Amino acid sequence: MNIGSRYNYYDILELNSNSAHQDVTTAYERVRATYSGDNPALYTIFSEQEARELLILIEEAYAVLGNKNLRAIYDQRLLSGRFQNEELSLQAILAASKQMTTEQKPEEKKAPYVKNDRFEEEIASCALWNGDLLKKVRDYKNITTNKMSEITKINSYYVTAIENMDYENLPAPVFIRGYVVQIARVLGLDDKKVADSYMKVFKENNAQK
Amino acid sequence: MERDFQNESQDVISNTPSQKNAQLWVIASGKGGVGKTFTTSSLAISLSKMGHNVVIIDLDLSGANVHSVFGLPPHPQSIRQFFEGSKTLAELVLPTSVPKVSYIQGFWDAWTPTDISTEQIRGLVPEAKKLKADYIIVDLGAGAVEGHLEILKLADEKILISSPEPTSIEKTYRLIESFVCHSLKEHSVPEAYEHIIKTLRDHRQGFSGDHFSFRNYLKESSGIQPDYFETLLTKPLRLIVNSCRTQANTELGHSMKSVCYKYYDFKIDFIGALDYDNAVWQSIRNREPVLIAQPFTPLAGQFLATCKQLIDPKDLRAVI
Repeated sequence: MNIGSRYNYYDILELNSNSAHQDVTTAYERVRATYSGDNPALYTIFSEQEARELLILIEEAYAVLGNKNLRAIYDQRLLSGRFQNEELSLQAILAASKQMTTEQKPEEKKAPYVKNDRFEEEIASCALWNGDLLKKVRDYKNITTNKMSEITKINSYYVTAIENMDYENLPAPVFIRGYVVQIARVLGLDDKKVADSYMKVFKENNAQK
Repeated sequence: MERDFQNESQDVISNTPSQKNAQLWVIASGKGGVGKTFTTSSLAISLSKMGHNVVIIDLDLSGANVHSVFGLPPHPQSIRQFFEGSKTLAELVLPTSVPKVSYIQGFWDAWTPTDISTEQIRGLVPEAKKLKADYIIVDLGAGAVEGHLEILKLADEKILISSPEPTSIEKTYRLIESFVCHSLKEHSVPEAYEHIIKTLRDHRQGFSGDHFSFRNYLKESSGIQPDYFETLLTKPLRLIVNSCRTQANTELGHSMKSVCYKYYDFKIDFIGALDYDNAVWQSIRNREPVLIAQPFTPLAGQFLATCKQLIDPKDLRAVI
């Protein structure tokens, strides 16, 4: 073992880089048993102090390799060979992992659509929501009926029916409200406002019949 | 009786059809009394059960006792005659009570202290490999004397025996160090060799705080061919931990392997832990090999597994 391998966690746990996940735990338990307590195998080779230092490294190594996400980041960095030793440390890997989880969320929300300020304003100020408007917003945000159905798990047949306000083909009003709430959420709208407004229009139209 | 034995031994030797050289297994330990002779005889018996012909060479200078394990009286023919040049090694092979296992009597007439030189070992090894057997198992005495280190270096399998006691563990590490240094001696210029010994001594005496790493040291220093370490990877030192009484003892081999890796930066191979078994000292008292007296014990199974692993590691894995 040398200084350069300070952050070679595989080397510390005496593993190959292609070891299976359960092997990591076995290896960890084995080396931990070796360097903790007063294992006779250390006799005349490692002092207590050295064993404690090794144990810290071992715990650090297991914190990375024992966690599938952290291990994946570590593997990527190790394989690319472009990273400095410090960037392979537990802290660096943890930081990278946090960054990845926080970065991913805004990325998901950013749907690939061209922003139209005027239309955005119109949406914000709109008080009366009907099927037509929902369809417009959906088209504006580049979400197909199928995609909407995929996200909300609402049958695309009902999605179309809600947009067309096609009452014959819709289930009971209590379900419709739930569907509208979900659709509004996917479209990034105020779901309560949209659903209230939509249901009002829906009831009015229904009463006329 | 004696004549019969000799005839039998001639038969065993001439019946062996194998043309290739015998495999040389050397059993060594840092400390005495950890079970080298017991392991030697047990490995030989296990190999014979697997159908191989085995010759044990007793090279324990402090007093041969392979014959005692097999319940035989010391034979007047001993390896002394080979070293004196009066007999060839093949003429010295004696049968044991176990089929396919024969042995060469060690020095037991050692009224004057005997030492085996490196030259004597270099003369012995090629002759031993020419013996008509599949495996030659050499039982060494304890400690790291030059003759021991030389025959270990020339061996096909280098097997170290340790007991779980700190005294034995300590001496096992010292033997490993001595062995590596002895082997490096040939691969380095004298100045470089002296330097590595000095560096080791400095580390041992605490002048330098860092962990010592043989491999790093060799990469940095000139005059030593580090490829020797590559052969240690393909043909590693093997470790057997004998007389284990607890689970922790059984795990000790893994720990020693890890320590060697972290401290010397080379891997040794832990091939097996042998349980402490009262049958061992009882059968030694009866002067009958324990694997013959009690062939179906877990201990016998451990030896068989160890032999299989040494002969063909892939084979064993396939069974699992």
